[in-house]
Amino acid sequence: MNEGTMKSKLPITVVMLVAGAFMIVPFLWMISTSLQTPAEVFKQWLPSKLDWSSHRRIWTGNYNFLPYYLNSLKIAVIGTAGALFLSALAAYGFARTEFKGRNAMFLVYLSMMMIPPQVIFVPKFILFNWLHIYNTHWALILPAMFSIFGVFMLRQFFMGIPREITESAFLDGAGHFTIFFRLVLPLAKPALATFAIIDFSWQWNDYENALVFLQSPKLYTIPLGLQNFILENNVDYNGMMAASSAAIIPMIVIFLLGQKYIIQGISSSAVKG
Amino acid sequence: MKKKWLLGAASVMMVAGLLAGCGSDNGGNNGGNGNANGGATEGNGAQSAGGSDAGSGTGEKIKLTLWGAVPEEAGAQAVLDDWNKANPDIQVEYVRYVNDDPGNLKLDTALLTGQDADLYMNYTLNRLQKRVDAGTAVDLSGSGYDIDGQMGPDAAQWKIGGKYYGIPTKKNMGFIWLNKKMLDDAGLPVPPIDWTWSDLRDYAKKLTKDGVYGLLQHDAMFTATIDGTVAGLGLTKPDGSSNFDNDLWKQQFQILHDMMFVDKSTPEYGEQLTSKMPVDTMFLQGEAAMLSAGEFIFRNANNLKDYPHDFQIAFATIPKVTADQKDYKYAGGLGDVLSVNAKSKHQEAALKFAEWYADGGMLPMASGGRIPSSKSVDNKQAMDLMLKGVEDKYDADSMNKVVFGSFPSFQLAVPQQVLDARKEEYEKYFLNKQDLDTTLANMAKEHEELTKK
Amino acid sequence: MKRRGWVQRQGWVGYAFVLPNMLGILIFLILPALFSFGLMFTDYQFSNPRWSFTGLDNLRRLFGDDNFYDSLKHTGIFLLSVPAALVLAFLVALVLNRSVYLKGLLRGMFFLPYISSGVAVAFVWMLLFQPSHGPINEALRWLGVVSPPGWFADSGSAMYAIDVVQVWFMLGYNMIIYLAALQEVSAEQLEAARIDGASTRTITWRILWPLVSPTTFLLLITGLIMTMKSFALIQAITQGGPSGSTTILSLFVYKTAFSYYEMGYASTISWFLFACIFAITLIQWIGQKRWVHY
Repeated sequence: MNEGTMKSKLPITVVMLVAGAFMIVPFLWMISTSLQTPAEVFKQWLPSKLDWSSHRRIWTGNYNFLPYYLNSLKIAVIGTAGALFLSALAAYGFARTEFKGRNAMFLVYLSMMMIPPQVIFVPKFILFNWLHIYNTHWALILPAMFSIFGVFMLRQFFMGIPREITESAFLDGAGHFTIFFRLVLPLAKPALATFAIIDFSWQWNDYENALVFLQSPKLYTIPLGLQNFILENNVDYNGMMAASSAAIIPMIVIFLLGQKYIIQGISSSAVKG
Repeated sequence: MKKKWLLGAASVMMVAGLLAGCGSDNGGNNGGNGNANGGATEGNGAQSAGGSDAGSGTGEKIKLTLWGAVPEEAGAQAVLDDWNKANPDIQVEYVRYVNDDPGNLKLDTALLTGQDADLYMNYTLNRLQKRVDAGTAVDLSGSGYDIDGQMGPDAAQWKIGGKYYGIPTKKNMGFIWLNKKMLDDAGLPVPPIDWTWSDLRDYAKKLTKDGVYGLLQHDAMFTATIDGTVAGLGLTKPDGSSNFDNDLWKQQFQILHDMMFVDKSTPEYGEQLTSKMPVDTMFLQGEAAMLSAGEFIFRNANNLKDYPHDFQIAFATIPKVTADQKDYKYAGGLGDVLSVNAKSKHQEAALKFAEWYADGGMLPMASGGRIPSSKSVDNKQAMDLMLKGVEDKYDADSMNKVVFGSFPSFQLAVPQQVLDARKEEYEKYFLNKQDLDTTLANMAKEHEELTKK
Repeated sequence: MKRRGWVQRQGWVGYAFVLPNMLGILIFLILPALFSFGLMFTDYQFSNPRWSFTGLDNLRRLFGDDNFYDSLKHTGIFLLSVPAALVLAFLVALVLNRSVYLKGLLRGMFFLPYISSGVAVAFVWMLLFQPSHGPINEALRWLGVVSPPGWFADSGSAMYAIDVVQVWFMLGYNMIIYLAALQEVSAEQLEAARIDGASTRTITWRILWPLVSPTTFLLLITGLIMTMKSFALIQAITQGGPSGSTTILSLFVYKTAFSYYEMGYASTISWFLFACIFAITLIQWIGQKRWVHY
């Protein structure tokens, strides 16, 4: 809380850096392994000499990751955009409008979040076949656009926006849609950015749905591409870690873009607590 | 500010519009998304519909999809390239699946749709059984291909209800890989064919040095060696109770336990579990004198660039538990069972491919250790392919006896639940959480309960 | 509630906001869920067209299944990670919100675990927890612990090691949402408190903690749900072992459904899992009035 003097900020920064370093050990290992030779994997923490061949391999070899990248991007971008908009709408509905059965309905929503995904694979498979979206990217994008988590999370944040702001707009004659687009959405930017980051990461890393609902190798996403490195009786760890390191870069970009909005937040003058 | 948000809203509307478009021209969209498959199958339908005009024979291009677990670069792609070049009218495409639970689920869902899955490989009897139950495997009895004649007596282990639902195409092998140099240094001869677990224990003890394990076991082999005993004894006793508490297992478990905790000639179970020990690398780098594994090690063992080694490799059979053990069966027999999907629209073409594959089409995969089981293939040719350029790295004598010898083998039809329950119990023993007698009793109990259901 | 007046005027508007999302949820979640509910009363095996109604057999089997009770216990231990990650994340978020340099970098470091794919992470935790020469046990020995736990190599400690990994994994998720929540706290509130001479501790627990309570509520519920549902991490690290000691309910469902193809029984276990989470959520929902301040 302390805006802080150098005296207090510096040691805390150092402590957090050490803790942060611990958090990223797995990534350092991942990168290190991607630069090792096959014979070094699991036997030493650092490569004896930097071997870039695994990194070259994933862009030029048998398993070119570029198509997987593009597929993943397409799915995650459209899915996240859709989820962001539709969740925000519904969240506003639950947070700031009143209608019959609102709370009961919200509980039903929450409860649907609790269904373990494994048991609805088969019915979903039948459904997708019937909708003719099995083995298309829509089988991943469409369900992703309807996020219960998004509704829940954004509702919690919308409820935190002081009522005075929206109420005065309402008294000025603005309708719900105007308030939603002009007032609530801009105010909730940190929450929207946060949800976008989280939702994007889920879709970026979604393995199970992609595995079951995508069949043609041309449609594969990155997590499916990573499976190429699981050989018959052993694993090509160098290739897998090279591909995993590359796969995380877009996520980091999204995070860096998104976290700017998180920091900006609501300027204190706009909100009177 | 205002404009930005309107822009955002507009882009979302565009996405929604895109979606609506998708809904209205579904068929077209499928093709656009999945050029490889959707487009091709549609094209196929259109062509066969218009086939009567064009006349038969020309333009009737059939497209098949083969599912297998062999990575493309391990020879699978080369096999298909050969076929596709020779058969322009029947093009086969490969979909690689990982042979684990999710991978098999993926295959099974694809099989149910009947599209884009015409041929597929089975690797265990359990999985094949499930596919026969599901009605997704064609009964090959009437196909005209003489599986018994081509593949020999071991093929019959893959019969389900007396019928073949797939062609076993390759020889499975399991044996002990030996570092001949270490054996020589210790003054130990290559063990005889009929050696026992006690002999193995002695060997391992003598071969253990600082930084060198006497014996390493590949995960896949751990159960294979114990299964051989019940494959001979029978899963159940004459009275119908489980045979999982048999005395031979007791002896073998005890020996293994002693090797881990008394001799320290093989890694402790928990240690191996948590170190992700790359057993093949360790063996090839001289950190283990013996390795219990299958033919799949050949791929790395022949790769002298990434796994250089200066010693010769010799081979020994998987030891029996006791010298007088009757009816021990060896991990091996045949594998890679190629089935035709009963829901495929081109079963005849698929079968044609399957026969070609089994009778030598698969040879490009020999370098990775896949030796065809069909008698139409010259064993020598396959061997040459496998050992090209590295012959001097192997001990020819023991290789001929063990790798190319013939031994009584088995395929075990034990439900996965039983195998998992058994593993849970013996893990307790090897982690020193439970004594041996309780472990055996529990394994038998679980076996009986699970098969009763 | 004087404020309600303006909200109530247009009753239909609420539906308009909620409807688009609800339609999708109905099609892609509720319909399949109803189907799986029906499966509970059958012996349906995926990929086997022959099945029959078995009434309550699956439920009876569930309550007589030792594996079920074991996995229930393991799930309980697994859930300990939820409050641990929550409190830790709140503190980290507080620190990273204001009182450090290099905010962006540090936030990124703490969030990185959450956006990773599981496989790489799984392997490295195996290595870190390696009992004989892994760095964690080396450190413990250096600190004077004579016989440190076997972690993943010991059925007694494996579940707790999983908890550590789960906290590590969920920390970033909780932290980033807390960070977003802290942006809604106005500087004036804090300034006022500080002028009143409140200590850092008082400000943290008496002012900030209540202010972010809607977020805590969100994180607690979603954390419990996600933790109960998650199995990928455990599947990648231990596959539920050794000797079944890390098989939690969701992994049990996963194996029953994907490995044994017993969809009917898997549905039964999941609906039990569902009932558990629902009960917990309902209690929280009712209890929220006591501590959640909107």
